[in-house]
Amino acid sequence: MWRHLLPLTMAEWRHHPWRHAVALLAVALGVALASSVQLINHSAMAEFSQAVRAANGEPDVTLSATQREGFDDALFAVLARDAQVAVASPVLEIDSHARRGDTEPRVPLRITGIDALRIASIAPALLPHLPEGSKPTTLIDPDRVWLNPAAQARLQVEPGQTLWLQSAEGWQAMQVAGRVATGGAPLAVLDIAAAQARFGRAGRLSRIDLRLVTGVDREAWLRRQVLPPDVRVSTAEETAQRISNLSLAYRVNLGVLALVALLVGGFLVYSVLALSVAQRTPAFALLGVLGLPARERRALVLVETALLGLVGSALGLALGAAMAWAALQVLGGDLGGGYFPGVAPVLRWPWGLLAACGLLGVLAAVAGAWWPARAAERLAPALALKGMGHTDNTPPPTWPGLLALAGGVGLALLPPIAGLPLAAYGAVALLLAGGVALVPVAVQALLRSVGTPSGALPLLALRRAHHARQTASATVAGVVASLALSVALTVMVASFRDAVTVWLDSALPADLYVRSTLSTGAADQAVLPPGFAASAAALPGVLRVQAARQRPLQFDARRPAVALVARPLPDPAAALPLIGPLLAARPGELSVYISEPAAALYQWQAGDLIVLPLPGNPQKARVRGVWRDYARQFGAIAIDAADYQRLTGDTALNDLALWLAPGAAPAELSSTLRRLAGDATPIDTASTSELRRLSLAIFDRSFAVTRYLQAVAIGVGLVGVAASLSAQVLSRRKEFGLLAHLGLTRRQVIGLVTLETLAWLSAGCAVGLALGLAIAAVLVFVVNPQSFHWTMPLQVPGWPLALLTLAVLVAGAATAAFSARQAASRHAVLAVKEDW
Amino acid sequence: MLHIEGLSKSYDRTPVFHDVSLVLAAGEFVAMLGESGVGKSTLLNCIAGLDEADSGTVLLDGQPVLQLGEPQRARLRREKLGFVFQAFHLLPQLTVAQNIELPLRLLGRPDAQRTRELLAAVGLEGLGARSPAQLSGGQLQRVALARALVHRPRLILADEPTGNLDPATAERMLDLLQAQVKAEGAACLLVTHSAAAAARADRRVRLTATGITG
Repeated sequence: MWRHLLPLTMAEWRHHPWRHAVALLAVALGVALASSVQLINHSAMAEFSQAVRAANGEPDVTLSATQREGFDDALFAVLARDAQVAVASPVLEIDSHARRGDTEPRVPLRITGIDALRIASIAPALLPHLPEGSKPTTLIDPDRVWLNPAAQARLQVEPGQTLWLQSAEGWQAMQVAGRVATGGAPLAVLDIAAAQARFGRAGRLSRIDLRLVTGVDREAWLRRQVLPPDVRVSTAEETAQRISNLSLAYRVNLGVLALVALLVGGFLVYSVLALSVAQRTPAFALLGVLGLPARERRALVLVETALLGLVGSALGLALGAAMAWAALQVLGGDLGGGYFPGVAPVLRWPWGLLAACGLLGVLAAVAGAWWPARAAERLAPALALKGMGHTDNTPPPTWPGLLALAGGVGLALLPPIAGLPLAAYGAVALLLAGGVALVPVAVQALLRSVGTPSGALPLLALRRAHHARQTASATVAGVVASLALSVALTVMVASFRDAVTVWLDSALPADLYVRSTLSTGAADQAVLPPGFAASAAALPGVLRVQAARQRPLQFDARRPAVALVARPLPDPAAALPLIGPLLAARPGELSVYISEPAAALYQWQAGDLIVLPLPGNPQKARVRGVWRDYARQFGAIAIDAADYQRLTGDTALNDLALWLAPGAAPAELSSTLRRLAGDATPIDTASTSELRRLSLAIFDRSFAVTRYLQAVAIGVGLVGVAASLSAQVLSRRKEFGLLAHLGLTRRQVIGLVTLETLAWLSAGCAVGLALGLAIAAVLVFVVNPQSFHWTMPLQVPGWPLALLTLAVLVAGAATAAFSARQAASRHAVLAVKEDW
Repeated sequence: MLHIEGLSKSYDRTPVFHDVSLVLAAGEFVAMLGESGVGKSTLLNCIAGLDEADSGTVLLDGQPVLQLGEPQRARLRREKLGFVFQAFHLLPQLTVAQNIELPLRLLGRPDAQRTRELLAAVGLEGLGARSPAQLSGGQLQRVALARALVHRPRLILADEPTGNLDPATAERMLDLLQAQVKAEGAACLLVTHSAAAAARADRRVRLTATGITG
């Protein structure tokens, strides 16, 4: 039968090519966004994993340092003598910077010290390529360095040229000897002894890769080993997992964004199909009268939509591949998120994921077509042929909507799943679905509160709005959903921005800031010169200086490191933006203060005793308070500088905060400070106002996409209103024709449709607003803490929300007036004579 | 009261009717017959100012309908015309009483007393609060008749008002239409295919492609 019916579909598509092209494009765009995000993520992660595997090689066992400072290389001597170990390859990894000359910008890179004689059999990708004619001893030349392609590209240096690597002892001049094949982020390889000597890591190693003698039982061998406390058995997957965790929330949010795009596509399909089915009601009625069963009518609409979804998905996959390719070329694997710096991945094809994206596109289209298909199924053919469609005055059941709302509230209370707010996203979806389902109830409640007007037009509009609850629901569903999302995003962004603004006030108490590096990982190598803080304090115009040291602390190999911030904390309540109480210090105990993300990630709380993995000297410390920190997503721990220096002997400094005398010019002082630091120690300086401006600019840029999303969502909601109204105008031609006979002018008929729509939109906006606030609460109180591990108070920006709602009402009214033009046409006048 | 002179109409150069002239006096009940497609409904639309004519004039109470602008034509329909259609065309969202009262509301003078009078006149007393969906076909057409008369129009245009009714109901409906039109003092132009219905009229005319005869 389908073979004979599908030509009807083709005829419909040919008759309204643009309308169906819009639906097809909507599906294609949703699939394109979803598939491009998947392609980019997969390619970036695959590239990174491959780079990690290449750098780590394929050892039987890897023994790694628990902290970045490494472990004693005496362990290497022990293992090298072990008869069951075939090869032991020591590696030292240091995060630092490189530059071509004094005035050239610094490029962050990883310095990897290797034993070239041992690395070849375990991690050949790290083995330097010897230029022709070079002596093998070049490999152990302490002045030679080999760069991977990313480092060569970023630094623009050729073999034979001099490269400067930053070390705590000053810039180290190295000669570029050639290249190594390792992909991924910028990397410099040199002899391990030179790395230890030049970068303050004498006698330290980051890891030892082992190849066991053939036949040795790995697990049995490991059980026999007694490893120092700062050494553990690690796997290459841990590093990949750590990087994956680094960007996981970001990637999931992008994925959710793509799903929203698909949802939007589904709404557009719904709008187009609702209009199409309304227009084809006589045809469906005729098919029904001729013997096509109701279920087959529904199936016909669903099959033709599935075909549309299939074509849209295919187009979307092609478009997604093009978008992914372009994004990887221009923005890199993290779309500018900064998680995979320097990685320029090639496009890889996760066929399963792409097939899933395509399937989602088809499903979104079919889901969007479900209600129009049900309308085609439910129509009474004989009545429809007479133009007397069914009325929809039967009150819809309220329990599905209430159940969805209750389910949404229940899901919002659940903890994160696999570290992600998946239940909260489900809560948002259920709240949206429940709210949309309850629109007819809201319309009724609103209309009940309005008395019977005496004017003909208000009476007609009100009675129609009252009468056609289901139609009203379908018309404003898109607006309710889009306004709810817009309100939620507006409230969430306003709350976040307000919280960040307040936080900046307490986080930036000084007038001027100096930093030796923006990377905590490179903080050991990029330090301020000795005596710099005292020299800065002595400068004219400087009232007070506060110095801080930053270093990474690894608590969990699968998570990014936590930043340890050592600074003077004579009065922690004044110095830190504490949330919650400050517990009293206990005599003889070390005090620390943890940031909110640290508390959430490691399940710490005030009063807990934690172990700080300080190099070679793990220390128990009491958490006296939790402070708000929007700067470090993976956690920070504040410790008093005096305690830190006493425990570690580390007097190096990374940051200065300067309080200036009245009248002192921050710009001039910045120049003086840079001169004071000298070319050997590049520093970044910024005044408080610059940092505030920069921080808020970054914030606004990060959330700019939400404004586009809001505009797109509201646009789609209004397209839904337009399509639904066009469908109604078609099905109500006789009514409008009658009103023309009774003496309504064209303008009055348009006004009538506009008034009706406004009645629905008002109810829809009320629901959308309430729903948006509920979703905002989920975003602020659940999604944000579960995704990024920070909290904020809810701020409801009254005026922006009022303007947003008013804009939706005005745009909705304009859309209604535009769509209603057909209602006042000559065709409507003539429709009163139509028999069917 | 209604004066049509030399009215011609065509669609896309296909003539519908040509050189139609007709005069209706106040209170006159005229039946118009004609074959399907000859343009009877189109002629009614032209009289009501809902369609344009190629040439000719339509004077309703001395007003040149086809020369009026759209708002003036709409006002003319509100004040001076009443319509009864074959398919009733009641608004399902309004009650029976609200449907009848609609023309009065459009004129800005709702009148519950007048509405009740008309309900009683068409034999539907006590059914004003019902929905149209709760009425039979004959009752629906009586509501439509009450709506056509409620604002005391000068002319009723009835386009096959019994076409959807069984013969007995149609007979009663025509009795009612004739009695009420006379009672209200309106003129009526009844378009019908039914010779029996036409036989009740004061005068019968036949529309052909070349004009009106009879």
